[in-house]
Amino acid sequence: MKQQNLAINELREAVLRMPADRLSATRTAAIASLKQNGLPTLRHEDWKYTDLRPAIEISNQWLAAGANNTASDTVADAIATITSSLDANWLLITNGVIDTSHFDRGASIEIARFSDTSAPPLADKPLADLNAALLNDGLKIHVHAATEKPLGLLIIDAADTGASVSQVNIEIKIAAGCDAELIEYQASLGTQDSYCNSIISMQVEESAHVSYVRIQDRRIGHTQTARQSISMGAASDLNMASYDLGGGLIRNDLDIDLNAPHANVVFNGLYLAGDGQHIDNHSRVDHRVGPASSSQEYRGILNGRCRCVWNGKAIVHKGADGTDANQSNHNLLLSDHAEIDAKPELEIYADEVKCSHGTTVGQLDETSLFYLRTRGLDRRQAKQILTHAFAADLVGRTPIDMTRDTITALVGARLAVLIQEELL
Amino acid sequence: MLEIKNLKVRIGDTEILRGLSLSVKAGEVHAIMGPNGSGKSTLAQVVAGHEDYVVTAGDVTYMGNNLLELDPEIRAREGIFLGFQYPVEIAGVNNAYLLKAAVNAKRLHQGLGEIDAFEFLKVAREKMATLGMDPKFLNRGVNEGFSGGEKKRNEVLQMAMLEPRLAILDETDSGLDIDALKAVAQGVNALRSPERAIVLVTHYQRLLDYIEPDHVHVLSEGRIVRSGDKSLAHELEEKGYDWLREVANA
Repeated sequence: MKQQNLAINELREAVLRMPADRLSATRTAAIASLKQNGLPTLRHEDWKYTDLRPAIEISNQWLAAGANNTASDTVADAIATITSSLDANWLLITNGVIDTSHFDRGASIEIARFSDTSAPPLADKPLADLNAALLNDGLKIHVHAATEKPLGLLIIDAADTGASVSQVNIEIKIAAGCDAELIEYQASLGTQDSYCNSIISMQVEESAHVSYVRIQDRRIGHTQTARQSISMGAASDLNMASYDLGGGLIRNDLDIDLNAPHANVVFNGLYLAGDGQHIDNHSRVDHRVGPASSSQEYRGILNGRCRCVWNGKAIVHKGADGTDANQSNHNLLLSDHAEIDAKPELEIYADEVKCSHGTTVGQLDETSLFYLRTRGLDRRQAKQILTHAFAADLVGRTPIDMTRDTITALVGARLAVLIQEELL
Repeated sequence: MLEIKNLKVRIGDTEILRGLSLSVKAGEVHAIMGPNGSGKSTLAQVVAGHEDYVVTAGDVTYMGNNLLELDPEIRAREGIFLGFQYPVEIAGVNNAYLLKAAVNAKRLHQGLGEIDAFEFLKVAREKMATLGMDPKFLNRGVNEGFSGGEKKRNEVLQMAMLEPRLAILDETDSGLDIDALKAVAQGVNALRSPERAIVLVTHYQRLLDYIEPDHVHVLSEGRIVRSGDKSLAHELEEKGYDWLREVANA
């Protein structure tokens, strides 16, 4: 199989056409890094289940066509639908361009663009160089105090008039002792190719409490790579839930650093995949100091021809005694053509730790199906009820109450389509 | 109402029912007794439509129609109810939701509209009260974390809501303490009517002290080897089941 490389020359030309600003130096460094390292391939352990070639192909075609994103009017409708269903204080990034017009500036949150302040140094993470090279602009967000409404990040890409490739980079700082609610919503529309590569880094300071909901509802077929890097201060809490409902090739990387004692993180996820989808959730938790706890539960419902990956890694570093780390992953496979690669990884270098992991893969329980049918429900209704039940628990665990109705509706709508797929 | 003639059923390579015949008329209560492995539960599952059981011979007619051609959900909507020996726990599905979906599936089949939500709750709460069930059970997952007795009461609640024409209760008495047994029996007795038939599948005579059957049948090795009135149940209680094997093999 021919290895596809990113078209570096076209990329450099595209970067040269961007305005000279405070991001310029990082862009230059990023091109050099890309030229030297390229993008991860299946030979990289962390990428062995996820082939990035579709992302490279889209990027190359987009670069060859002049590296333009053109959002059409329909994106405004999509934005209106999302922002009206979730009452948050929204920051928009549309096709990689920051839009603060929906954002209500208040005393609790400060925002600044990279171009007005500085760009962060190039991170040594896969795809960080691609992000830095083509980043239009990034955002720094500082949450000082609890806000009335959750902070919303709507990352939306329109690919209706042409292909779209976008980079998103957001740095968030949650001040010490602050209660913060954050909603990240990634969506896309249009029948052309779309690839969005996002990086969100968050620093949670001492005794801050963060509730974080991620919804990914991209158009089936569209590509996303998303990295979350979260660093936890002493006695800080993070309660996070991710919902992957759409997309084609989706790769989420969640890195959590527990740098100080008494930090607690809970992160759960639900992924629903049907024909043509590939959803990969990688997480890595570094327990550097104890006592601290991390706990994750991911659940997947897979139907049709699709593949999902769950890789949960927890590293308990030397001296991180009093660590409590749990991870579990449960999958419901509704078709013979669906594939899940589930891989829990624990690396423990400390003495006094409590770590557990568990993974299950199964089909719908025939006895439960029969039970429901003897109550008068047809096979399809019975399946729908049982798949909903499998997802319902995670929907119920959203840490932000006001998102529950929206998530319930999105999950319900997606499941209704997924179950139909099997009947075709 | 239910006519079973010379029914032979296998699961995998094992023949379980070997020429069973049974006739149940409206208004009757039948008890089917027999040792473990005699085919009692298989009979219940076959009538409800479990697809793992293969009918190799015989006929089953229900209300004059061939029952074996119908999917389990159609049988249910036509008025057959199976109370499970081991009711299934379905975490994440609200008990009220399932009850209402079941009631509505039947109503739509009958050409009626969906039940009014208020009316549904009122009826469900009344039935729960007579079964000694806390109304909180409506909002719990179906059988999720229920005790053995609570699960069986929940089966009887479903039956009471669905008002079946033919109810088959598979070992509904197993694992119940005396209070639960009385509550369940009371729930079943409340459903006795001239239009309805009830088939009790049970290993022990105990349940029959509370629900008096019109007919008692003894099942052994896949066939009904004796039928009689309720005194047969007492006879079995005294003699045990061992003597049956000789009858069956004779």
